[in-house]
Amino acid sequence: MLALENLRIALRSLWTSPLRSFLTLIGIAVGIAAVLHVVGLGRVTQDNIRTRLESMGLNVLLVRPGTSLMHGVRTAEVVTSLTWDDAQRIEAESAVIRAAVPTYSDAGSAEYRDVNWQTRVTGTTPVHFSVNNDTIAAGRAFSEREVLQRARVAVLGDTVRDELFGESDPIGAHILLNSQRFTVVGVLEPKGEGWGNPDDQVWVPITTAQERLYGVDHLSSILAQMRREEDFDEALFDIETILRRSHRLREDQENDFQVRRQDFFLAATRDTTAEIAQFVVLIAGVSLLVGALGIANVMLVSVTERTREIGIRRSLGATRLHILAQFLTESVVMGIAGGLLGVVLAASLNELVLGGRAPLATDWVFYGFGICAGIGIVAGMYPATRAAYQNVVDALRYE
Amino acid sequence: MRVRLEAVSRTYRMGRVDVQALRDIDLRIDPNEYIAITGPSGSGKSTLMNILGCLDRPTSGRFELGGRDVSKLGDAELSRVRNARVGFVFQTFNLLPRATALHNVELPLVYAGVPRRRRREMAREALDRVGLSERARHHPNQLSGGQRQRVAIARALVNSPSLILADEPTGNLDSATGEEIMQILDGLHAEGNTILLVTHEAYIAAHAHRQIRLRDGRIE
Repeated sequence: MLALENLRIALRSLWTSPLRSFLTLIGIAVGIAAVLHVVGLGRVTQDNIRTRLESMGLNVLLVRPGTSLMHGVRTAEVVTSLTWDDAQRIEAESAVIRAAVPTYSDAGSAEYRDVNWQTRVTGTTPVHFSVNNDTIAAGRAFSEREVLQRARVAVLGDTVRDELFGESDPIGAHILLNSQRFTVVGVLEPKGEGWGNPDDQVWVPITTAQERLYGVDHLSSILAQMRREEDFDEALFDIETILRRSHRLREDQENDFQVRRQDFFLAATRDTTAEIAQFVVLIAGVSLLVGALGIANVMLVSVTERTREIGIRRSLGATRLHILAQFLTESVVMGIAGGLLGVVLAASLNELVLGGRAPLATDWVFYGFGICAGIGIVAGMYPATRAAYQNVVDALRYE
Repeated sequence: MRVRLEAVSRTYRMGRVDVQALRDIDLRIDPNEYIAITGPSGSGKSTLMNILGCLDRPTSGRFELGGRDVSKLGDAELSRVRNARVGFVFQTFNLLPRATALHNVELPLVYAGVPRRRRREMAREALDRVGLSERARHHPNQLSGGQRQRVAIARALVNSPSLILADEPTGNLDSATGEEIMQILDGLHAEGNTILLVTHEAYIAAHAHRQIRLRDGRIE
């Protein structure tokens, strides 16, 4: 079969000058390896982000005191503008908001036996845990009653639990939070490496945080959970209306609060990393182009070197198409060999240097071979055409 | 198969000058003829051979192979005719250096689309006819000049051509080996093949039964 014959010729040709072949293939190989890595890493990053997004509360809006990030001076007044009363009004008066959770967050120290751990203490209500998609690993969350009682009870994040208790059971134990004696009633499931390390926190009732621990009566934020994702615009409007009224803001005054989707930063990061990935793939594409030029160059030289051979084959009855097919097969084989080298390169880089953290995207491995074959065809077209249209008599006389 | 040339001319353009390599050639070759085409350098022998071998097309005139006008054929068609009807033996052997003797011989069959097993068989038979069966797996650089030319002859034979064209077949060989080769060609003629020799050596031309002398592109 002629195709098989051409394949054999192509492979033999590659093997004749291994160094030359290797140097030609390197360009393609590097390009393919780069593309595979970028796509693979991009996927891993996007997967991580998606997992993180999913672990956050769905449809949650973050209401924070202070004007928008761009301008405005933060005054003491503004920072303390949000109150629990605001949260209760939002929950009561907005049809599209299912729950408005008050939080107060500040730095604190947690102590158990002789271990002291600096962490973040957050005061909130029990509904916080479901709104924020937190799972209780052991024990329980604090109750509404404990909120009313300003009880000294705490729920630990996984990191704090680990630091203070290690392997032993924390439930029912007594710890010191900011030198006050608290009882541990629950522990949360770890959420993984997060933005601002969500596992390194301790949760207490909002009243306890405000009155017993920190002596404040304002909030750090309100988490407003919408009933449905589509209600965003209406929720935003409701919150603005309610808060502006509650804070007695005049028409000409700006909002003294900001409302944002909780996943705002994460989503922005996801979009940015996607854009960066696209850009790098483009650059890798340039490397592939260089590789293609390498193949074209070597093919041109090869065709010239084998002018006599072309003449001989033609004299035996090979048509122009035969010759074209022969040389195109060679360039395609070269392209695919480069792709193979690239996959090996990418895989070894992943294993040996990156410790397996950037696994190859398998579907792209296939696309990669397709791209390489395509490059082979395009790069080899001109040289192969030159070979095919070589004048037979002249070719036979070529020295 | 009968070959007929009628008023065949071949003109080349060299820069700004037109060179008439062949002028108005009339030639007829019957089956099983043994012809030598002779003449000094530049007389047009090679050009005539190229045309007869379907490697080149006449600028004007008619070229019939077995009653079929091949002078106007397209490149692909011409290649097919060449593949099926003509066997070449060159002065410089023109074997593929990186292929075995066997593969060299089967090459015309590859382009004819003959399946692999049959191809191998036919190639072995051809090598056998020139006495080189044991060298089937050797590469040309492992063969002597005479052996290489024999491989070339086997290759020319393998597709049972109507015409065997030998261009100075002994030019690169010593006289003893050259004589061996001529004997093989004589043998092929005896078996019924049509042989066309192109040479400028009188003693080589003497093997043929008919001589055609060319001078300045015309038959003398």
